[in-house]
Amino acid sequence: MIQLRSVSKSFGNIEAVKNVSFNIDKGEIFGILGPNGAGKSTIVNILNTLVKPDKGDVIIDGVNIKDDGDTIKLIMGVVPQEIALYEELSAYENLMFWGGLYDIPKSDLKVKVNNNLDIVDLSYRKNDRIKTFSGGMKRRINIACSLLHNPKILVLDEPTVGVDPQNRYHIFELIERLNNEGMTIIYTTHYMEEAERFCDKIAIIDAGRIIAQGTLKELREISDVKDSLTIKLAEYDNEIISRITTTNPLFKLDSTTNTLKVECGNISNDISIIINHVQNAGGVIERIYTQGTILESIYLKLTGKELRD
Amino acid sequence: MFKLFKKDLILFFHDQRSVILTFLLPVILITLFAFAYGSIGAYNGRSEPVKLIVADLDQTKSSKEIIYKIDSLKDISITLSDSIKSKKLVIKGKYAGALIIYKGFQDSLEAGKAMPVELVYDRSREMEIGILQQNLISILMSSSGEIIVKKSIEKYLHDQFPDIDISTLENILKTAIKKNNNTPAIKWTSIVGIKNDTKLGLIQAVAGTAILMLLFSVALVGTSILEEKENGTINRLLYSPLKGSSILYGKMLFAFFISILQLTAMFLFAWLIFRMDLSVNIPALILMIIATAFAVSSMGIFLAAISKTRQQAQNLSTIIILIMSAIGGSMIPLFIMPAILQKIALLSLNYWGIQGFYDIFWRTLPLNAILPKILILMSVGIIMTLASIRLFNKRIMNL
Repeated sequence: MIQLRSVSKSFGNIEAVKNVSFNIDKGEIFGILGPNGAGKSTIVNILNTLVKPDKGDVIIDGVNIKDDGDTIKLIMGVVPQEIALYEELSAYENLMFWGGLYDIPKSDLKVKVNNNLDIVDLSYRKNDRIKTFSGGMKRRINIACSLLHNPKILVLDEPTVGVDPQNRYHIFELIERLNNEGMTIIYTTHYMEEAERFCDKIAIIDAGRIIAQGTLKELREISDVKDSLTIKLAEYDNEIISRITTTNPLFKLDSTTNTLKVECGNISNDISIIINHVQNAGGVIERIYTQGTILESIYLKLTGKELRD
Repeated sequence: MFKLFKKDLILFFHDQRSVILTFLLPVILITLFAFAYGSIGAYNGRSEPVKLIVADLDQTKSSKEIIYKIDSLKDISITLSDSIKSKKLVIKGKYAGALIIYKGFQDSLEAGKAMPVELVYDRSREMEIGILQQNLISILMSSSGEIIVKKSIEKYLHDQFPDIDISTLENILKTAIKKNNNTPAIKWTSIVGIKNDTKLGLIQAVAGTAILMLLFSVALVGTSILEEKENGTINRLLYSPLKGSSILYGKMLFAFFISILQLTAMFLFAWLIFRMDLSVNIPALILMIIATAFAVSSMGIFLAAISKTRQQAQNLSTIIILIMSAIGGSMIPLFIMPAILQKIALLSLNYWGIQGFYDIFWRTLPLNAILPKILILMSVGIIMTLASIRLFNKRIMNL
């Protein structure tokens, strides 16, 4: 559906995107993961024909963007990182305006606008001005505006920045629903858990370069990152701790927190074995928790940096 | 382009501040300036008469005659009082001045001596005092002159013809001192502004203020382009099939429309409230409104196009608009400015706009005489538009 071949783009002396290539299949959710300033938005703007690449080719739905940018604009919907809405207009007026730019007949557009307000669960606020909405509600309208022309591909550029958990949940539900209906989705984020949750494939980008890409499983293999568990015992007992760590050297004591840490290939397969081992040694588990996300570990391993908000 | 225009129009009417700035504020300013520049208000379309308090301590035929003459002037209304009370009322600010005619006024007149008359006044009320001085000097000079001449002729005749009878003497005096003899030597005739009843001050107030406020309104429209860039809506517009040039043309169309709307509203207000006669030259008025609106709206877009941020555009617009309006005659009527400033004024849009409206309403010139000003405004508009398109593509659309 989408192919990027050796795409580069510079702004003055700054190389924003360096030799980026990837393929996205139809109906896939493709995550572009990286810190702020990594080049995610430049890739989004190249895909939308707003920025012309200096080098390389971009083929979308069989069309080279150099040849027919107008067609690309019709098959692609973009949810910008900013809340690009008119605050003084109502939700309905905003949707009518943005949808109107695609020359949708007015009667059809009215139906679509009402449908999309239902989809984002904001029909009850349709006549209220956007300035009265919460940040999360604005984000949902921001998404609804990009769906009015029935795009085949939806690009979401950091759609959950500054969104509360309830609205984030609404947005996640919407993305999954659209994907289930067959829409191809490109999702840029710097939230690891979001990329882990949705994305069929992920490209990790840093300083304009893709440093790794593939499914989560493939990324784990590339980076050789293992799952990590932390276990806190109800009672700290030297004898029990010693029994656990000597009988299985994968268990290590973190003396600063008085917790046990254990690395495993796959948490879901190994969790029962780990619990049994602790209990057989006489330990009573108070709490078990994972150490961050897999992607966080992969990112740290590949770049040597932590990905922060 | 029309969709953007429609959206901006809805946004405009949703934004109360913009509506107030565009319509209500100019109306208030026009009203204030119209009153300040005079010729508007009560008293049969004239300025209010200056209030003068008079204390006649002489109580003679001559002093009463002088008071009667002053009272008959339409620019002065008098009240009689005693001297102490008169001075107190001036100090309290109830009157601009008090005229005190001291005892011995008539005797001094007849003897040809200095008249014992005093005008005590409040120095802060300069304009009213100016009117009083002008009128009082005129009345006192003519009246005293008449009496002195009469006395001189009478004395001469008595000296030369001691036996002259009274009726012959009176006939000679009547013939010598005819009222017509006091007619000024120079005939004063106004040849500008006689064909209509619209006052110069009102034209100045309407045209000057309307153009000044128009510049501020369109500067707001211009900065809205930068606002759209800052909040990301320009990018979103560019994600759609809309061409970049359509965004600019949409804004220009909106600025042009608002300018026409604002100018029309201001002139209609002047017609409704101040009875300004708009029918003097309707084709010229329509063309002048269009040309002024085009030039001013292009200026607003241009100011946005040369700025990098909304804040910069706002600051730049305020400075340029205030300077241009000050030198162009929007704030101070051009005819009271020094010659050098009147030449510099040619560089401002306000000048061409205001002078064009003067041509229509004051000078009542035909359309062909006003056309050069219309063409200058249109040319400025075209140049600014072309420059804005170039700058807009280079700076605003540069993602």
